[in-house]
Amino acid sequence: MVNVDKLKEIARETISRDDVKYLIGWRQGTYGFRAAPYFMSTPEEAEELIFSPLCTNNLATYLTLAEKLPVPRGQEPDSRKVALLVKGCDSRAVVQQLVEQGISRERVLVIGCPCRGVIDQKKVEAKFPDVREAVSAVWDGDTVVFNLPGGSVAVPRQEVLAGKCLTCRYPNPVIADVTVWEEVAVWGSDDYVDVRELEAGSPQQRWGFWEEKFASCMRCYSCRNVCPMCYCEDCVLDRLNPQWIMRSVNTAENTAFHLARAFHLAGRCIECGECERVCPVDIPLMKLNRKLTKEVRDKYAYEPGVDPEAKPLQASYRPDDKEDFIL
Amino acid sequence: MSTEFEPNVVAFLCNWCSYAGADLAGTSRTHYPSNLNVIRVMCSGRVNPLYVVNALQQGADGVLVSGCHPGDCHYMEGNFYARRRFTLLRELLEYVGVEPGRFNMSWVSASEGAKWKDVVGEVTKKAKEAGPFKQFRRAKINW
Amino acid sequence: MNNKPKIGVYVCHCGVNIARTVDVEAVREFASRLPNVKVVRNYAYMCSDPGQLLIRDDVEKEGLNRIVVASCSPRMHENTFRKTLAAAGLNPYYLEMANIREQCSWVHEDREEATAKAKKLVYAAVAKARLLEPLYEKEVEVEPASLVIGGGIAGIQAALDIANAGFKVYLVEKTPSVGGRMSQLDKTFPTLDCSACILTPKMVDVANHPNIELLAYSQVEDISGYVGNFDVKVRKKARYVDVDKCTGCGICAEECRLKGRIPSEFDMGMGKRSAIYLPFPQAVPAKYTIDPERCLYLTRGKCGKSPKCADACTAGAINFEQQDEIVEFKVGTVIVATGFDTFDPTRKPEYGYADYDNVLTGLELERLVSASGPTGGNIVLGEGENAFVPKDIAFIKCVGSRDKSVGNEYCSRVCCMYTAKLAHLVEEKIPGANVRIYYMDVRAFGKGFEEFYDRVRREGIRYIRGNPSEIFKRGDKLVIKVEDTLAATPLEDEVDMVVLAVGLEPRKDAREIIDILRLSQSADRFYLEAHPKLAPVDTATDGVFLAGCAQGPKDIPDTVAQAKGAASSALVLLSSGKVKIQAQISFINENTCRGCGYCVEICPYGAIELVTISRMGNPVQVGRVNEALCKGCGACAAACFSGSAQQKSFMDRQILPQIAVLGVMR
Repeated sequence: MVNVDKLKEIARETISRDDVKYLIGWRQGTYGFRAAPYFMSTPEEAEELIFSPLCTNNLATYLTLAEKLPVPRGQEPDSRKVALLVKGCDSRAVVQQLVEQGISRERVLVIGCPCRGVIDQKKVEAKFPDVREAVSAVWDGDTVVFNLPGGSVAVPRQEVLAGKCLTCRYPNPVIADVTVWEEVAVWGSDDYVDVRELEAGSPQQRWGFWEEKFASCMRCYSCRNVCPMCYCEDCVLDRLNPQWIMRSVNTAENTAFHLARAFHLAGRCIECGECERVCPVDIPLMKLNRKLTKEVRDKYAYEPGVDPEAKPLQASYRPDDKEDFIL
Repeated sequence: MSTEFEPNVVAFLCNWCSYAGADLAGTSRTHYPSNLNVIRVMCSGRVNPLYVVNALQQGADGVLVSGCHPGDCHYMEGNFYARRRFTLLRELLEYVGVEPGRFNMSWVSASEGAKWKDVVGEVTKKAKEAGPFKQFRRAKINW
Repeated sequence: MNNKPKIGVYVCHCGVNIARTVDVEAVREFASRLPNVKVVRNYAYMCSDPGQLLIRDDVEKEGLNRIVVASCSPRMHENTFRKTLAAAGLNPYYLEMANIREQCSWVHEDREEATAKAKKLVYAAVAKARLLEPLYEKEVEVEPASLVIGGGIAGIQAALDIANAGFKVYLVEKTPSVGGRMSQLDKTFPTLDCSACILTPKMVDVANHPNIELLAYSQVEDISGYVGNFDVKVRKKARYVDVDKCTGCGICAEECRLKGRIPSEFDMGMGKRSAIYLPFPQAVPAKYTIDPERCLYLTRGKCGKSPKCADACTAGAINFEQQDEIVEFKVGTVIVATGFDTFDPTRKPEYGYADYDNVLTGLELERLVSASGPTGGNIVLGEGENAFVPKDIAFIKCVGSRDKSVGNEYCSRVCCMYTAKLAHLVEEKIPGANVRIYYMDVRAFGKGFEEFYDRVRREGIRYIRGNPSEIFKRGDKLVIKVEDTLAATPLEDEVDMVVLAVGLEPRKDAREIIDILRLSQSADRFYLEAHPKLAPVDTATDGVFLAGCAQGPKDIPDTVAQAKGAASSALVLLSSGKVKIQAQISFINENTCRGCGYCVEICPYGAIELVTISRMGNPVQVGRVNEALCKGCGACAAACFSGSAQQKSFMDRQILPQIAVLGVMR
């Protein structure tokens, strides 16, 4: 069972350690059904920590971001650990970053929070429109209880959980130095219905679907910036020499951007769904990413972010890999 | 001039097998359509998948990547990596609505001049059937 | 120097080869309007001296700094024109070729189409030429020494050849003596030379050669570096005998409390030795070794009141305090001659090798027929009162070869002939012996092989075509169940002794050298050569060569030939003293690299390693290319998500303009 008091206690202990520089967790947001990433560095700050169905953000993104801050002149780099709260899906990002040596194991302290699924902001807002106050939420059996200003309301999980959570196969962290409470039973299974649905159409129908989505993209790059697996020092798609993608915002350039982004995640996407969550124009990016996740699973029996010892998919091969389309 | 649509195919060939095979097709004076133009790279494993996206964007109606047969790579394993990448890229392209015939891959060895002729014929035919590529072609191209 | 591109384009007619189908004048006119193009010329044969002179003159007079030659395939004349550029004082890598012959004029008939395509190809070449960068071929010095791993006949021959050419050789052998498998053989096919007679002089030569440092009972621990400059670390295992003092007299072995109680590896376990031993009488070096796993003193800390060997040794050579020693040295080339293991017949349980004493392997029979073997050359089975001379003897061929069920699809190449040889020796040693050979095929392909096979058959040895399915015991006899496939008759053949002609397999410890030298294995698990036909002794790692059965099964003449080939390849490098390093190699932009290590995984040459650098004060890992190891395939560049890895002359920013031209031009 989720036990926030225990979480706070572990956070206090962790942050008191000499070899931990800060802890990244969640706290209640300032309005609506939101949690916000929370960087804490003193035991007192643990009081504000939460773990609830609102904790959507994948905090693993910050592991690689933090490394990019310049060290002030005359100072030594702080080599202490970063403590990180992870849900099951977030933990896969940590594993994949380890596989790709984006982070080193001894620099991160993973605090695992077995999770029962987080909300889809948009579903909840549709149910409770115009809520301005900060609303907290808890899991209760098969419901999520929202503590609205007018009193608590229980909603079946099925109605408010994010799509990725409904099919989740990894609610429990796959890597953790400490797990805060007992693991939860796995409820989801995934046969990629959403992907198959689109595959069934003709090329014209498929392009019709994506053309509309990509046309609406305004290239804010939120999807890239939030992604825990997009941590290049300098994104190749931003470069001017060579310029892979023009700056102009139009369907051709947007499509090329999204294809490149999706391809760079082939065999790496751990399906946390952050890209889709943050997209301001609601492009179903997971529908794109999941196509490759599905192919990677079907063709190469490979699942990223599960085994820290695995070789990256695109940096390995088998002599008998399928090649039925090759002339 | 004929009004029939003539596709534009960009091909990436590895230096050691496919490019040599294409040379052999020439030396043996076989004839094939002139729609396909070759960019030589040292290994099919050098071909960045984004080249394919870029070629489609920049006016190609079809793209071909060709390398040594599996196990024959001059650099031992480049074509194995290429095979994985392009298997996935092809799935992705088709998924967003690029016609199946537009992107092709082939294994052509240095002794397969005749196969090269067939491959050119095949990919040209497929690109012709698919018609002019419009989906995400760049409106104005300057290099 | 102002390096703004000034491009010269040279369109070759190639006699009529190009000019017949391509309107070269139209191409010339088209090229003259392309950006940065200063000079365009047509010429009948650009590769001729006058053609090349055109380029040289224009470079001088017009100040050209990039050259595009539209002619035949770069596979044909790229080097020719590179030299032209060099002669004109330009960097040879400022050249780009448009292949308008093999891939244009020769494959298209329509003049209009061919001309249009030629224009496109020239445009694409110009687009790339504008962005070419000068490249420089570096040279590295070659350390004038060689490492030979493995002291069998392959290693011995390679070491002698290199040493005789005047270069230092370090010969590393894992066991206490050189000689390898060949020293275990009695006679060699098809000439029936005595194996020891032809081998031992070479073994002695190795030990006495002033240029050879023999490191017996030693193992290669680590090799780093690259062609011309390998740093080698070798572990000299403790023999517990001071080799400088040991005279090889053998009194210690006579005195050893375990004398005659330890199976001798050399005699395939059929003979017995002491805990302090010389593997075989002609061993080189003729120095004794204490087996640390058997010696009572070394395993239990106690051997009676005092170790008898030490008491007996008048030279005072026994030293139980001896430690392993690490030797480090530098070499320019490495030859891998680690040999093979014989197939373990217990993996074919139907042949009963583990169950019946009278089922032997070929190598075991080899020791039995050898005059220096455990029985003094008499073929005797059983011990004491039960000893007997077998009369009915059957050989079974292809045990562990050409057999998918044990994972060995290949032919071991020597079993057909060693079977014939052993059958002949058995006939010779046991008058009236009844010898038959069960076979799938007889492959007598070598010099003198067919003649020998013929001779053996004429001597009365029966060849029966059939692959036995089972061996079991009936009374004192072994029964072979088999179908004679030529007569289509099932047989149950009662014999006294069965000899399994076991095949050759990669050594069980083959992995060690793979990890040390980054070698690859072919499908049969032997070490992989760089090219099966044209580079059969080279490996993917420059400066590392293969000799003998480490690369695949072969007989002694082939092994020696390959060893000489490997030695000669090594000598090419050693005697020139310098090695050129490719120019079109990869590099990694350390400012943008994120250190994911994909390139490290992918590089087939192990040319990239992750190093830690400081980026804005933070320690970060980035990939770094070892220029001497990189062969310029560009695999790293395609794998790199951040575009940090690039291949010189094939950089993304050079290829994208080519794509644009070919895409846009209709």
